[in-house]
Amino acid sequence: MPHSFSAMCGNVPPLKRAGPRRPRLGPWLTVPTLLLIAVFLYWPLGRGIWLSTRGTDLLGNPTRSVGFANYTQLLTDPASRRVLLTTLTLTVASVAMATAGALAAVLPLRRRIAGRRLFQLVFSLPFAYSAASASACFAGLFAPSVGTLNHVLAKLGYEGPPWLQSPGWAMLCVALATAWYEFGFAVLVLTAAVRNLPSEVLEAAELDGASGPRLVRSVILPLISPSLFFLAVTQTISGLQIFTQVQVLTRGGPSDATTTLVVELYRRAFGGGVPDYGRASAIAVVLLALVLLVTAVQFLVLNRRVTTS
Amino acid sequence: MTVTTTPTRPTVTEATAAARRPRRSRPPLRARDMVRWFWLVALTVVIGFPVYVTLLTGLLPPQDVAHGTLLPTRLTLDNFREALRNVPFGQQYVVSVLVTALQTGGQLLTSSLAAYALVFPRWRGRAVAFAVIVATLAIPGESLVIPNYELVTGLGLRDSLLGITLPFLAAGYPVFLLRQAFLTLPREVWEAARLDGCGDLRCLFLVVLPMARPQVTAATLWSALAAWNGYFWPLLITDSPDRRTVQVGISQLVNAESTSPGVIYAGTTLVLLPTLLLVIVGQRFLLRGLARTSPR
Repeated sequence: MPHSFSAMCGNVPPLKRAGPRRPRLGPWLTVPTLLLIAVFLYWPLGRGIWLSTRGTDLLGNPTRSVGFANYTQLLTDPASRRVLLTTLTLTVASVAMATAGALAAVLPLRRRIAGRRLFQLVFSLPFAYSAASASACFAGLFAPSVGTLNHVLAKLGYEGPPWLQSPGWAMLCVALATAWYEFGFAVLVLTAAVRNLPSEVLEAAELDGASGPRLVRSVILPLISPSLFFLAVTQTISGLQIFTQVQVLTRGGPSDATTTLVVELYRRAFGGGVPDYGRASAIAVVLLALVLLVTAVQFLVLNRRVTTS
Repeated sequence: MTVTTTPTRPTVTEATAAARRPRRSRPPLRARDMVRWFWLVALTVVIGFPVYVTLLTGLLPPQDVAHGTLLPTRLTLDNFREALRNVPFGQQYVVSVLVTALQTGGQLLTSSLAAYALVFPRWRGRAVAFAVIVATLAIPGESLVIPNYELVTGLGLRDSLLGITLPFLAAGYPVFLLRQAFLTLPREVWEAARLDGCGDLRCLFLVVLPMARPQVTAATLWSALAAWNGYFWPLLITDSPDRRTVQVGISQLVNAESTSPGVIYAGTTLVLLPTLLLVIVGQRFLLRGLARTSPR
């Protein structure tokens, strides 16, 4: 790269003590990262796509190509289609609850109010939980007969629903646990967004008579919409990969009602019995395709925003 | 409501009214503020309830847990003893701490080297290298577990610390964060250091990283959180209970003790404490990271 070198040193007099030129280390510093991501990200990506076109022998080893059979099986089998639907339902429900909830928590905190710091702190506490510890906590809350929620309801004179034993309630429980744990992150993101709002704009809007809901709708929401969008995208992507909550709370049951894509992948590849890497890899590729789709939408929308604004 | 909501610019009538009020006058409490306050209290109860139950119930004696007590009369550590008897949380804590240290340290090292090379020296292929690294952000880790499982098992690293961390020693996200941070630094400082004969490594560690300290702290925190909270991969790649991380341990405690919530909450508290402290004490660092990372 002669031109950049001369651009850098062009009008600088040569140093007296500049001995033999050092070998240029710079570009080589990317090698550790590139090497590691090549081995643990790009190679597995290719290998996974290859595996998804293979059958499996009795020992679990990949065999000859079966073409797209693993995919057609995945997309035509009613049980697999249900897995896909369950994943999408849980994703949409938990993203909607977490984002709307966080908005309803952060916006009222924008102006001064008694106990603001305490509210702010409590709202961010779910972020301290990992997926596993949040799920463990909700397992204690939803446990049949001995669970905390059933105790509370009994004291109020109600009988608790069969939280984790009926398909519909189990879906709601997983969605609630996911939404609660994502809520903490959403609150942090939106708090950062609201703090960075330009105060001149808000003051001008208030002087113009905008206040309350109108100020929120026509000034604040448009200003924080990039953060809202960022939240929706990242939470959708993590929603598509829901595993821990299901594994801890329901193990995919009752009668497979809460089995998601990654739970199904885990069962087929690692769930005991002969591993079926072919079909499990087809699930992995479908998951990858879904995430890429969401990312592509993100790019399209962001590009449009940039060009129109 | 009459005039502005900002109490800083009182109109003439308000100023005279304010003069009659005691000195440190608060803005008048309005009906809308009361509604707002009650809404926030209600939301606090809903969101805080699981946290309260986790921290409290773990400390209650078993008969109180069985009665669903929510206001404590006496506290014990019985549930913690029971949790530790079931799952080797002690050893798992050591594993989790080492995994977090190794993974965060590795990511920080590889990503600061890469980010430096992507920002300061000019070389052909720089844009391509950046694209290759940043594209990994769109790949969900869960879709790679099968080949990585084969690979790490093939290397004989199952059930080991290195096996848990190896696939995550480099990642696209911290490279992206640090590159953004380095781009905001004045290039002249780097050029001056180079002209003084500073090599690339000394430039990075003695000039660039110290200047970007706030963002490096934020990147460290986010890497450490991801490492501490990891679940799927550590679950797959470890077998023996005392070589697993606390996150895997807590999920196994839930299975073993499904009928005694007190023990589950005690285990959850153990796993939760470090990150709870981080969120309570280090919230402003996390927010700072977010303020710079989320798209403008």
